[in-house]
Amino acid sequence: MRVVIAEDAAVLREGLVRLLTDRGHEVCAAVADAEALRTAVTEHEPDAVIADIRMPPTHTDDGLRAAEAIRRDFPSTGVLLFSQYIEAGYTARLLETGTGGVGYLLKDRVGNVADFVSALERVADGGTALDPEVISQLLHKPDPGLASLTARERDVLGLMAEGRSNSGIAAKLVLSEGAVEKHIASIFSKLFLEPEAADNRRVLAVLRYLRA
Amino acid sequence: METIWRVTVMLLSAPFTRQARRDLRFCVISAITGTVGFFVVAGVLIPALVISGSIVGTVVGLALVVAAMGIARLLGVLHRKVLLITTGERVAAPAAFRPGSGLLGRLGRRLRDRDGWRAVGYIGVKLPIAIAEGYAAAAVAFGLADFAYPLFWLLFRTHPEPGARQGPMIAVVLVPNGHWAIETLPGTLSAMLAGAVCVVAGLWLARGIITVDARVMRFMLGPSRVSVLERTRAIAVEDAAVALRRVERDLHDGTQVRLAAVAMNLGLAQERVADDTLRDMLDAAQAGVSGALADLRRIARGIHPPALDSGLADALASLAASSPIPVRVQVKLPERPSQAIEAMAYFCVSELLANAIKHSSANLIEITVDKFLAKSLRVRVTDDGRGGADPSQGSGLGGLAQRASTVDGKLHVYSPPGGPTTVTVDLPMQVRGKGI
Repeated sequence: MRVVIAEDAAVLREGLVRLLTDRGHEVCAAVADAEALRTAVTEHEPDAVIADIRMPPTHTDDGLRAAEAIRRDFPSTGVLLFSQYIEAGYTARLLETGTGGVGYLLKDRVGNVADFVSALERVADGGTALDPEVISQLLHKPDPGLASLTARERDVLGLMAEGRSNSGIAAKLVLSEGAVEKHIASIFSKLFLEPEAADNRRVLAVLRYLRA
Repeated sequence: METIWRVTVMLLSAPFTRQARRDLRFCVISAITGTVGFFVVAGVLIPALVISGSIVGTVVGLALVVAAMGIARLLGVLHRKVLLITTGERVAAPAAFRPGSGLLGRLGRRLRDRDGWRAVGYIGVKLPIAIAEGYAAAAVAFGLADFAYPLFWLLFRTHPEPGARQGPMIAVVLVPNGHWAIETLPGTLSAMLAGAVCVVAGLWLARGIITVDARVMRFMLGPSRVSVLERTRAIAVEDAAVALRRVERDLHDGTQVRLAAVAMNLGLAQERVADDTLRDMLDAAQAGVSGALADLRRIARGIHPPALDSGLADALASLAASSPIPVRVQVKLPERPSQAIEAMAYFCVSELLANAIKHSSANLIEITVDKFLAKSLRVRVTDDGRGGADPSQGSGLGGLAQRASTVDGKLHVYSPPGGPTTVTVDLPMQVRGKGI
């Protein structure tokens, strides 16, 4: 996997480079501001980008704005936002660029190296990786369909929203894959998502979940 | 002995200093402006008060009162300027006048203009001071004339026309019965001596009166205590906002980064450790770091929400996005308020939103922020819930009103039982008193 990293704190930037290189990924560029990020992406067209949100020049949402531009100009490049904060407004903006190939994680999550790298890989493959806090922030939203879900189904949907596969969900909840499939089927029916070839029900369910 | 000598030299050298010339200039100008100013203002103000007492003349009378106050304010500017130019002493100007809106509003604001009334007061107090200043200047003038008597005598009295009979010269000093006749040339020495005393005494009198006058000016023509307090409060509030923002930035760029790096290194270490006990210890350390980071995030958010950096609209949208009840946000501001006000507006909305979510069981909450009057903004949070919110019932609303009042903000709650509830917070765009 070829990655571009944009992070203004040198300790973290270097740490990420080492962490990814150790695991056999290629870090094409590691930059410290949003301008340099766009240049590096144009130059390398990487599989994935890790971008801090609050970066120079303005120290506000520069990273997010760069991410929006990258999603527009390089749809095949996955963008993982990497921030000290989860802002619901930022989540919404990120998801407006499309629900595949995006991620939003707290910086703390890098502590679990395996999870972090697999989240990055998911994003590079066009999947999603959302921080559990993003999910919990959006979770209070009332949706009659969602309200009728059982606690277990909610857990499953939450993990789906984080971008995990059925086997990932099964491992996390210590269930059999069959049980997970049953839960998912029940979620689809409670959310009135009929099987139609053109729609990805999984994405639709997650969207309902996130945008309700 | 030496002391007496030094005091004598000081007393006698007084007329020859620059200070003396400046003082004299001030006394002459100020005596004129003070007395003329008094009669002009009194000439407008007294009839104005008489007219405004009658039924038909109220408005005309009050307008004349306002005119008199305006003249007094202008004379205040003049007096401050004269003091500055002639003696170099600076009296700061009072806070700029803030006109009201509408004819009656304007008139009312003018009539309640404290600084205007203080200027009128100064004109009143100035009359005796101006007279004293005139007296001091005249004393010096007469003293100089007396001092020159031997000269006059030699120039004009020693060559009388043959046969002419001349009366005595009259010397005058400005005290009761302070005049006497001089018949001979040696007699003029008495006039010279008296003149010298008059000049020195007049100059010291001038100095004393100017000191008093400058002090009265500072008290009545300078910035009022209220406006000084407003200004220092504005500085304090804005400084605090800037300092809090800096603290948040330091946390973000320093402590939080270090802790995240620690988490990352712990994570890398965990992967390489085979020993179970060691791994458990690393897990515990990892959990501790995560907890610390979560705490820091919460603290930083309370200090200065990061989303506020890109404006109130973004910050409120972000706040609304995490609400379980649908929220509609509309922010219409022509320019950004000051940092302290933005933070205040944000925390007000945050608190009001939390209240509405907790107590109202509403289906929709609306947040609007727009410009209100010339220099204020109005934050309005409305919900269609059950109403009955009461600021006096020890809810967060009382604290919010108190917090808003630190910048002259006002909170209104309209919440009849059964709803809907509307809470408005009016805040100035800048903390009042800033930049004066």
